[in-house]
Amino acid sequence: MMDRKAKMKTAGLVLVILLTIAGGLKVGSFLPVIGAHETPANIYLSNYYIENAIQHTHAANIVTAVLADYRGFDTLFETCVLFLSGVGTLMVLFSKAKVKRRLPKFRKTESHSETGEMISEFTQRGSYSSGILDASFRIIMPIVMIYAIYVLFHGELSLGGGFQAGALLACAYLMDRISPSFESRMGEIKEENMLIVAGLGTFLYAFTGILPMFFGGNFLEYAKLPFCALVHGGVAGLHAAGILMIEIGVTVCVMAVIMTILEVVLERTDFDDD
Amino acid sequence: MTEILDKLEFFLADRGIYMLTFVLLAIGIYGMVVCSNYMKKLMCMNILQVSIIFFFLTFGQKEGGTLPVALAEVLQAEEYINPVPHALMLTAIVVSLGVTGVGLALLMKIRDIYGTIEEDEITGKGGGK
Repeated sequence: MMDRKAKMKTAGLVLVILLTIAGGLKVGSFLPVIGAHETPANIYLSNYYIENAIQHTHAANIVTAVLADYRGFDTLFETCVLFLSGVGTLMVLFSKAKVKRRLPKFRKTESHSETGEMISEFTQRGSYSSGILDASFRIIMPIVMIYAIYVLFHGELSLGGGFQAGALLACAYLMDRISPSFESRMGEIKEENMLIVAGLGTFLYAFTGILPMFFGGNFLEYAKLPFCALVHGGVAGLHAAGILMIEIGVTVCVMAVIMTILEVVLERTDFDDD
Repeated sequence: MTEILDKLEFFLADRGIYMLTFVLLAIGIYGMVVCSNYMKKLMCMNILQVSIIFFFLTFGQKEGGTLPVALAEVLQAEEYINPVPHALMLTAIVVSLGVTGVGLALLMKIRDIYGTIEEDEITGKGGGK
């Protein structure tokens, strides 16, 4: 029975690879050459965006101009989808009991003494804790966080954006969370509170959209934001302020949702050596 | 012989990356169909998403193009690479993150209820141990 199944699996894999190569040869003959300029994807919409993004949105980074201005409505609901995935993760697992003792905390170790009797003692460190991991995390974490802030504020000017900055901030938290040292923890963060923070990030985005509507503009029309006294540069400054506000909202939402998923899943996982 | 090799080289340089994305796509679909472990199914779905992201990103490439950040001295649209696939795939990556998170939560729930995440043992078919 198992033998036949294994044979069928192997035959299926071979068939799939052969079909893929044949299909690749066939499909590759009518797909455009890599790097060609006159392909359908490169001549209609993208040229319009590249030529008009500066006049319309005053954002130098064209990807951000497309993401935050031309398709701002789409990105708003993208952020909502991410927030809802955090809510769904928490709701599915909320009734499951948390694991009491985590690996980096107190841990029972057993060893044999010279006379042969069993010695069991509680230690604060996990069995795989190492000073090198600890020290390198302490050096890397602040750099990652500074880089995340840099990426966030350069979303509109040069390479960067809200999603990436949120992922980097969550990465710094992940490093802190998985580092086995007991002392370097940022402290316990409850996942419900993180979800509230994610909701606030999503709200900041929607609020930036709604705010111009009170001052005679459309939804997400950054030129009608009431910050004329605060920013320099007229319409361009208002666009920069609006894009920065929604980037901050996206950053907070992404960071908090990743942290929520991490906390929810990690707090309820039984490891074999726990 | 050298003629064939030259042709192959041209093909790989022009359209070789499509083959790689198709292989990735096939591995993803094959794994989702064949693997009986739900965790492996989830990972294969991630591979499938990555292959589709790669496939879209190849369309954004232009020979000799620079980054889609507007420079003062470069004004021709042909000199920038296509920003649209990048903007679209950024959101696709975020959605794949959310899908993975919810999938992991559902897997833990399945493990809670059935005690296993092997499809054979849950359905009682296929000659489980």
